[in-house]
Amino acid sequence: MNILPKTAAHTAATSAENDMRTGHETSPLLQVHGLRTEFVTETGIVRAVNDVDLTLHTGKVLGVVGESGSGKSVTARSIMRMVHSPGRIVAGEILFNGRDLRGLTTDEMRHIRGSEIAMVFQDPQSALNPVMSVGDQIAEALIVHGSDKRTARRRALELLEQVGIPDAERRVDEYPHQFSGGMRQRVVIAIALASSPKLLIADEPTTALDVTIQAQILRLLARLKDDVGVAVLMITHDMGVVAETCDDVAVMYGGRVVEHGPAEVIFARQEHPYTADLLKAMPRIDENGDGRRSQGLPAIPGAPPDPAALPPGCAFHPRCRLAEDQCRSDVPELSPRENGLRAAACWITERGDTIPPLEPADHTGRTTASGGRVTGIAVHPDEDTRGAGSDTSDSTGALQDLLVVDDLRVNVAADRRSLFGRPDPVYAVDGVSLSVAGGETLGLVGESGCGKSTLARTVVGINRPSSGSIRVGAGLVDASSPGGIQALQSTVQYVFQDPYASLNPRRTVRQSLDEALEMRGVPRSERAGESIELIRRVGLNEGHLDRYPHAFSGGQRQRIGIARALAVEPRVLICDEPVSALDVSIQAQIINLLETLRDDLGLGYLFIAHDLSVVRHLSDRVAVMYLGQIVETGPVEAVYSSPQHPYTVALMSSSPVPDTAVRDRERIVLTGDLPSPKDPPSGCRFRTRCPIGPLVHPERQICVEKEPALNTTPAGQRAACHFAGEMVLAPAS
Amino acid sequence: MATNTTTVNGPANGAGNVGAVPRPSARRSGGGAWQRYVSALKRPRGAVGAGLLALLILAAVLAPVLFPDGYDDQSSGALAGPSAGHWLGTDELGRDILARTVFGLRTDISLLLTAVPLSAAIGTLMGLAGVIARWLGTGMQRLLDIILGFPGLILGMTIVLVVGTGWLALFLSILVVGLPMFGRQARAGLLAEQEREYVLAARVLGVRKRTVMVRHVLPNIIDPIVVNASVFMVVAIFIEAGLSIVGLGIEPPVPSLGAMLNTGARYVEVHPAYIIGPGLVLLLLALGFTLLSDALNKAVLRR
Repeated sequence: MNILPKTAAHTAATSAENDMRTGHETSPLLQVHGLRTEFVTETGIVRAVNDVDLTLHTGKVLGVVGESGSGKSVTARSIMRMVHSPGRIVAGEILFNGRDLRGLTTDEMRHIRGSEIAMVFQDPQSALNPVMSVGDQIAEALIVHGSDKRTARRRALELLEQVGIPDAERRVDEYPHQFSGGMRQRVVIAIALASSPKLLIADEPTTALDVTIQAQILRLLARLKDDVGVAVLMITHDMGVVAETCDDVAVMYGGRVVEHGPAEVIFARQEHPYTADLLKAMPRIDENGDGRRSQGLPAIPGAPPDPAALPPGCAFHPRCRLAEDQCRSDVPELSPRENGLRAAACWITERGDTIPPLEPADHTGRTTASGGRVTGIAVHPDEDTRGAGSDTSDSTGALQDLLVVDDLRVNVAADRRSLFGRPDPVYAVDGVSLSVAGGETLGLVGESGCGKSTLARTVVGINRPSSGSIRVGAGLVDASSPGGIQALQSTVQYVFQDPYASLNPRRTVRQSLDEALEMRGVPRSERAGESIELIRRVGLNEGHLDRYPHAFSGGQRQRIGIARALAVEPRVLICDEPVSALDVSIQAQIINLLETLRDDLGLGYLFIAHDLSVVRHLSDRVAVMYLGQIVETGPVEAVYSSPQHPYTVALMSSSPVPDTAVRDRERIVLTGDLPSPKDPPSGCRFRTRCPIGPLVHPERQICVEKEPALNTTPAGQRAACHFAGEMVLAPAS
Repeated sequence: MATNTTTVNGPANGAGNVGAVPRPSARRSGGGAWQRYVSALKRPRGAVGAGLLALLILAAVLAPVLFPDGYDDQSSGALAGPSAGHWLGTDELGRDILARTVFGLRTDISLLLTAVPLSAAIGTLMGLAGVIARWLGTGMQRLLDIILGFPGLILGMTIVLVVGTGWLALFLSILVVGLPMFGRQARAGLLAEQEREYVLAARVLGVRKRTVMVRHVLPNIIDPIVVNASVFMVVAIFIEAGLSIVGLGIEPPVPSLGAMLNTGARYVEVHPAYIIGPGLVLLLLALGFTLLSDALNKAVLRR
């Protein structure tokens, strides 16, 4: 694809060719022209979708990718004509099979919805009616469109089988709460497919799901596309998902499509600086060598624009490293490139300039305060010149353990008893040992429900351990001993996942920081100065101190959350999914900040995440958790290059990679869901889903009978599997 | 101080980032408490409601000045129609209805403005009792459930039985009837807030329970309670009226709006102005609180 001739000057001829090219194939199923959707708010008109053009052919998947506020979801809803007041579609045409949906009456549109265009939503939890059996919900879609009850039920059964629900005959009469998240999403897809639609609009269909489940759903969508011949409009923020599933991509930013074209072409080379920099800012699971300690991520500065206050000219210009005067004043139109194969809306590349490769950000990552092009906030001038690799703890070699967890078990149902007072224990964490030393990062990965957050919360004293020990500080004081709680609070602090929930909306930043400083015993008179130092350390400035959390973006709030944790001068930070709620372009900023802080302050991190790429980038060692236990742990390089436990292998191969070049790699897609910790399987807990366990090798009874110990493998890490190393990660080629 | 030169476009920029549908990013809940309450008064409903209430309260406060003869002057003929001397006429004992209406309003307002806030305060404390000890919290909830189990009228009658009819009985009735609502609301708020990450963050820092309560929990649950209290004002008006109608209201000759409605209803055919006066004032009072609570609801609770 990169051997395609690159034409320097684009003229009307190219667009004519473009027309010919599309005319060649069958006429598109969906064609959106100049779509514009506005919302009337108290503060004025917000143009959420602006001049959007999209084309989608039958049997293809078009990915619409963008960050929050980019207008991708509103675009999807506009196509369905489901924009509610105060929103309205003000311009453009939505041609579906040649008919303009905008011209249809409400009744005609209602008929199209569900029968010809169906939608799959992000959250399967709220997309299903909890008081209706799933069979009835699927049948409802059919009955509405004129099918009788008997056929509807038969078809419902058929659909459940088609979307891969085992034992459909029995499950058709069950209620949504009896299904797991992944299974619910399959039901939602079954409902969408009920009346054989021609177009399926999937709005972040896998965002609420775990990676192994996400892999199942993506595979299902790909299969349906081929089997049923449905076209899919995939709305997502995840470049990895796009690379894995989409034929074409439209990248949205600030309500406009800034780049579109075939997926391979776009992932091979980008014509818009936003796409280019966004891809570079994402850590890669197949990132080679020591990503850590060498370079920070090349983060895009600033935050995605508020659709209510878009900057003039190109909406990306305040964050663009190539911005020129023209970008600041004139909005670039989407212009065809490479003979109409692709298009981009950028003044720089339109005149033929290429996007220069991004300089790796200096590891200190101080390029990214909160907006604008901030370069170098000199917090500690003496440290600025320091090479990133010359970390003190590295040079001394021996790391000092600051947090040691030994054989920890946590019963999350300790205060819940059955009606007659019988204890009914649920061990969310069941015998976990780990340690974190100053200056190093232990990455903890696992799917939701595996107990990683419970573990973290138990360490800081939010949950109470049932057995095992937690020792903290330089003296490794037992946290449960008298005085241990003080040692714990002054040594270990917590960075929360959701930056919108972790700050009290009623308290200013200064008040939040003051509270933490007070706990450290900083006298009132010194708190102001300390606050300024803290806020600068996380890349904000003292002007931010007297504002309330609602005035900040997600990334900024996460910085404040980090500042609050730092205020007690902890030695260890527990980061519980600190970037997973943030926009992709913001994630890199926070990751860089965490790296800088770790290296400047010699902090130890217990870094919890479900995103394997982020963990790889940041960690020295990694531990993989499954159903309350660690199944594999060791140095990051060893675990990522040759995972020994089949679960680790499956996790890694399911993790989407933002690169179409590796989309055909072999993937191990696990079947089923995480079992309940209330009643874990005997022997090896993974055996119910294991691709090399008794499921496929019935003779392997050892997996059922004997719990595997965490043994050292020849590769150097430890893995809890009777057949460790048998399964190999297929090399990404 | 070189950092000061950096341009920060954050605040204006970031607020609207959540969710796909753009929302007005101008004024969101969060920030100074008073500003939000004051902003309720800037809404048309809030302004009208507050104005109405201010007028009524002013009249109630100034009642002895406006009607120097008091509510008990029987110098005129009974059940006289409206006249220049008595704008609404006189009642069955020849007392000026207008004067009695305004003094009745005084009774009602004195009840509402004391009983309702006190009920909200005590109810909230009962709802938060679980912080001190788990059993105490559960115990309080059961107590509130018991209160909720009795109809308001029965409660009122019981209270009258204990303290006798009069202002105090009405005051206690309103107070007790309100407790379960406020107590449960506070409890629900507490349970939700306890799991919030900022409350957990404070706990991880080692902040004391009581401080967490005052700093983090209370400010975040108080708004809906205030709104509910303003709604409960209207309910309280009807509690007063209801108890008066069954004769458990204020002790004569002191007037209250409810008691006047009760007596006025008997003469509605011969003397319609009798019931219209207190009825209208009662309506305006309820309307004022309704409009105000509506505006508070919109201004304060918008998350």
